[in-house]
Amino acid sequence: MPLSEMPNLVPALPELFLAVAILALLMIGVFLKSDTADNAMRTSRQIWMLSILTLVLTALLVLTVSGERLYTFNGMFVTDQFAVFMKILILGGAGLTLLISRDYLEMNSMGRFEYGILCIFATLGMLMMVSANDLISLYVGLEMQSLSLYVLAAFRRDEQRSTEAGLKYFVLGALASGMLLYGSSLIYGFSGTTNFTVMAEMFAHGGDYAPSLGVIIGIVFILAGLAFKVSAVPFHMWTPDVYEGAPTPVTAFFAVAPKIAGLALFLRVMTGPFGDLVDQWQQIIVFVSIASMVLGAFAAINQTNIKRMMAYSSIGHVGYALIGLAVGTETGVYGVLVYLGIYMFMTVGTFACILCMRRGERMVEDISDLAGLSKSQPLLAMALTIFMFSMAGIPPLAGFFGKFYVFMAAVEAQLYGLAVIGLVTSVVGAFYYLRIIRVVYFDEAGDPFDKAVSRPIAFVVTLSAAIMVFFILYPALLLDPAAAAASALFGG
Amino acid sequence: MDDLLLDYLPILIFLGIAIAIAAIAVVGSMIVARQHPDGEKMSAYECGFDAFVDARNKFDVRFYLVAILFIIFDLEVAFLFPWAISLSNVGMLGFWSMMVFLGILTIGFVYEWRKGALEWE
Amino acid sequence: MITAVVFLPLIAAIIAGIMAFMRHGADEHRSHSIDRLSQWVTCGALLLSAAGSISIFFDVALGGNSYTYELMTWIDSGTFEVSWALKVDSLTAVMLIVVTGVSSMVHIYSIGYMHHDRHVPRFMAYLSLFTFFMLMLITADNLIQMFFGWEGVGLASYLLIGFWYHKPTANAAAIKAFVVNRVGDFGFALGIFCVFVIFQSVDLDTIFAAAPGHANDTLEVFSVEFDALTIACLLLFVGAMGKSAQLGLHTWLPDAMEGPTPVSALIHAATMVTAGVFMVARLSPVFEFSDVALAVVTIVGASTCIFAATIACTQNDIKRVIAYSTCSQLGYMFFACGVSAYSAGIFHLTTHAFFKALLFLGAGAVIHAMSDEQDMRKMGGIWKLIPVTYALMWIGNLALAGIPPFAGFYSKDIVLEAAYAANTGVGTYAFYMGLLAAFLTAFYSWRLLFMTFHGAPRADEKTMAHVHESPMVMIGPLLVLATGAVLAGWVMYDNFVGGSVVQFWGNAILVLENHPALENARYVPTWVKLSPLVVGGVGIVLAYIMYIAKPDLPARMAETFRPIYLMSFNKWYVDELYDKIFVRPAFYLGRQLWKVGDGTLIDGVGPDGIARAVRMLARRVSALQSGYVYHYAFGMMIGVVTLITWYLFTSAG
Repeated sequence: MPLSEMPNLVPALPELFLAVAILALLMIGVFLKSDTADNAMRTSRQIWMLSILTLVLTALLVLTVSGERLYTFNGMFVTDQFAVFMKILILGGAGLTLLISRDYLEMNSMGRFEYGILCIFATLGMLMMVSANDLISLYVGLEMQSLSLYVLAAFRRDEQRSTEAGLKYFVLGALASGMLLYGSSLIYGFSGTTNFTVMAEMFAHGGDYAPSLGVIIGIVFILAGLAFKVSAVPFHMWTPDVYEGAPTPVTAFFAVAPKIAGLALFLRVMTGPFGDLVDQWQQIIVFVSIASMVLGAFAAINQTNIKRMMAYSSIGHVGYALIGLAVGTETGVYGVLVYLGIYMFMTVGTFACILCMRRGERMVEDISDLAGLSKSQPLLAMALTIFMFSMAGIPPLAGFFGKFYVFMAAVEAQLYGLAVIGLVTSVVGAFYYLRIIRVVYFDEAGDPFDKAVSRPIAFVVTLSAAIMVFFILYPALLLDPAAAAASALFGG
Repeated sequence: MDDLLLDYLPILIFLGIAIAIAAIAVVGSMIVARQHPDGEKMSAYECGFDAFVDARNKFDVRFYLVAILFIIFDLEVAFLFPWAISLSNVGMLGFWSMMVFLGILTIGFVYEWRKGALEWE
Repeated sequence: MITAVVFLPLIAAIIAGIMAFMRHGADEHRSHSIDRLSQWVTCGALLLSAAGSISIFFDVALGGNSYTYELMTWIDSGTFEVSWALKVDSLTAVMLIVVTGVSSMVHIYSIGYMHHDRHVPRFMAYLSLFTFFMLMLITADNLIQMFFGWEGVGLASYLLIGFWYHKPTANAAAIKAFVVNRVGDFGFALGIFCVFVIFQSVDLDTIFAAAPGHANDTLEVFSVEFDALTIACLLLFVGAMGKSAQLGLHTWLPDAMEGPTPVSALIHAATMVTAGVFMVARLSPVFEFSDVALAVVTIVGASTCIFAATIACTQNDIKRVIAYSTCSQLGYMFFACGVSAYSAGIFHLTTHAFFKALLFLGAGAVIHAMSDEQDMRKMGGIWKLIPVTYALMWIGNLALAGIPPFAGFYSKDIVLEAAYAANTGVGTYAFYMGLLAAFLTAFYSWRLLFMTFHGAPRADEKTMAHVHESPMVMIGPLLVLATGAVLAGWVMYDNFVGGSVVQFWGNAILVLENHPALENARYVPTWVKLSPLVVGGVGIVLAYIMYIAKPDLPARMAETFRPIYLMSFNKWYVDELYDKIFVRPAFYLGRQLWKVGDGTLIDGVGPDGIARAVRMLARRVSALQSGYVYHYAFGMMIGVVTLITWYLFTSAG
């Protein structure tokens, strides 16, 4: 094979490695003995460990190929500082959620080796999304992620709620994919290309092409499809049902990795090919952002199920992150990136706490079940308190800084209304976060939870809580890479 | 305006002819063919389904499984035909891409075999 | 040196404070040793501080080396610049002696007095903390720092009055002291603002240098022109009135006797309450330029002097008698300042600190001996049982009544002579009031002495059997103070108010040429010089007649002059008046604002109303979530259609 024909594989090395590893793991898993329950358990545990190892190795690869902007596969695939930052976040989120999932799976007879593989399969799709520089590679990545997630949502297939969640997610996801495809076809039809770089040149100010109505409608459709993936209002309806129905570790995974990937895609698409059309889409993003913040804040108040509450909370968080996008400048993107970095640890930590809500080997999910946690497990209660305060955005915890940077970007861009609504909804949001703290510390204690907290969960809880508390001491660890990534996105 | 519509005229004609032929076939068979209603004609097919029932009822999930597996390999063939024809144009890269694709498909096949998806019982 | 003097008490207070926490939950043996340690630390620090003060006194006051020691910049905002600095001149040096001297004696005395208390480290910490704030106040180089010390001593006073916080009366007294002082402090704060407006500075030296140039400035208040310096001085004097319990703002002082007796001696007799006098003396370069303010100071001082003395004659609580006496003596100091005899005021302040602390601590010893009995009607006949305390009380009373050669004689005489020599209307008023008060002073002092120590024992047998002389650790400080009460007068007379007065005070005190009261005091007629002694003697004799010779006379007199007696006994109904005018309406207003204003209006519309609205909205929003896939899909479609339509109408249209 002549080398000249060969595409440069180096930029895509992490993804290629991950793909090969997935196939290998699938073969290992399927050829290991699973005839008895014990064997199946052992197999699943081995694959679980190997999956995490794979993610770690992929992260190392991502860091090695990091650096300047590189295109490959005929410009369909791009890697730059932004992609590296996002990929590390995604891999971190996926790895941490995978880490805390083991006990739940084994305890609920879900210990099948496919779980880990599906997780990293979805992760592969997300990495593809982050690096997509073409509508087609975008779609392929998105679908690879989504299809894995559909299966994951229904992973507990002997339970009605889980299968229902999977089915709902699948049907609505298909609809969203359809919209995305329709938008893509419109854009292709009106611009004659699917490549982001070409599109960016075409739509640039001073270019000889004025965006036609078709392109704009195409953008709206793509926006809708992407908004579905990050569960932004009004495409959020699946979120509470799926979060509640899916097995808790899957919910944790949903809340972290796909959100980050979806927002990464959002940023890439909106600031890349359509970057100079900011006037056209800014209003829509502003609307979506406000709607998400408001709904996330208000709807969460009435929830009694903690997973459902977290679903609305994640809708709200997406709204805050979209503020940064609505600003559409480098500071805005910087704010989003900081926000996502903090959001990742905050959410993983919270879900790790939720996974500790076991009573007699069974999971409980009601907020009222948390009553008396401060007495039975004071350390866990303290960690949960830290996460809730951080989610509410109370300084000096990390969550405050996430909000701070996006609000500051909004104020700098003179989007005062957006910043004010953001502040108001944070206050409303604080209501339900603080309610959990109240339940934990002041409500009449119920039966205590099972004391045993496994080592991976304890590790994740400690790590996340420490990051929430100590972020203020050394924020540069997150801020510097985020700044570099943001400037990379704007071609800097 | 007229030019644009004129472009679509063949489609209109095509539609008209299609509808006409379909109508002729249905009406013709009603007139010409002999009608012999029989209880046997109402009995279940060999695959076990009743001939006339509500389509929305549960049946064995294994049918889905087979159907989905079929679709995958059907699509594989759908990719293989154009690839085979244009192999001389796509060169070594095209050849190896298809090999990778087939390899991935094979791994999927091995997986489903090992999982017992191909066994009816 | 000066930093050590000022900050040693603070360090001691912090250490003792930590010990107070350590003591919590410790076993008996350990807590005892913690108590011991805290006493050693605080007393040691205070004694060192007192020793330092003495050496500073020799260096600064007698050697004439006044200086300002800059610690660091505190506030630097625009033209507003304040630094932490310790200003040491003769006035400060004198006050240093008074504060650290009395404070260290009280610290030592407390070892014995608070022996049985369970919160010794806390008490010692408070005492030391108070001393630190007091030192901060007297060394202040600017008004803000003085205010810091001013508020600090207020805080310490609050903490110490309410030291026995399980006693409701103590808590009430502490709150009262705090609130009444707030009125004064508000005046002080306004005064500082006013000074800043006039001088663009709060630095004392800057103000003093600029004061003559601003003598005729006016300030417009509510479109009426006032003399600027007069307003500033009057506002500052309001602060002084609060802290020094002058007429109108005096009500907290008698109640403050709820605190432990050493506290009464230190804070509510010798040091803190004199802060007002100190402040007026310190600001003499400003007060001198406002005759109106000086007249007000004189009138308030003289009125307080006689007012408090009348009340003291009828009170039965031994500490309250001394408290009103303090109030009255503070009046002397103020009217001395009012007639520009600042040094006489400070002189009386100094001697008073010794003999009043002596009296309080002596009273404490009596109370201690009588098993915590404070009512003089339940005492009597104990002078043989506690002769040392008895003797010391005699010394204190002799000094207080101004009998030569005790300290009070020198200072009170010069104050009265100065008032007479001022040769102004208010000065003359002050002189006669002071003279009358001197008579009453002698009377109530010996009334106290006779009721407490003489006559038939009125306490129950158990108490009488228990009467005992105080331990050496309590008597020792009393002896030191008694020495002061005997000697302070003639030792310091020459420097404070005598021939070397100008040389001694240096720049610390300014007296204008047209205010020669102190100068002229030496040349007053002989009857003026003698009259205080005479009225003092008459007072003592009268007390002897009423309480020893004819013990039934007081009751008969109270019956005959019932309205006057009741007036005095009920402290001129000031507390009742305040209750009617201020406290009740304030309570009513507060309740109305709380129930109607805050509860119904603000909460109802604000937090509660919003919360209700939020909850309702939340219910509505959750109702959208039906659970049906087709609803969701429909929602998504609507969303897309809305976005596109919106876009078409806004952007593309």
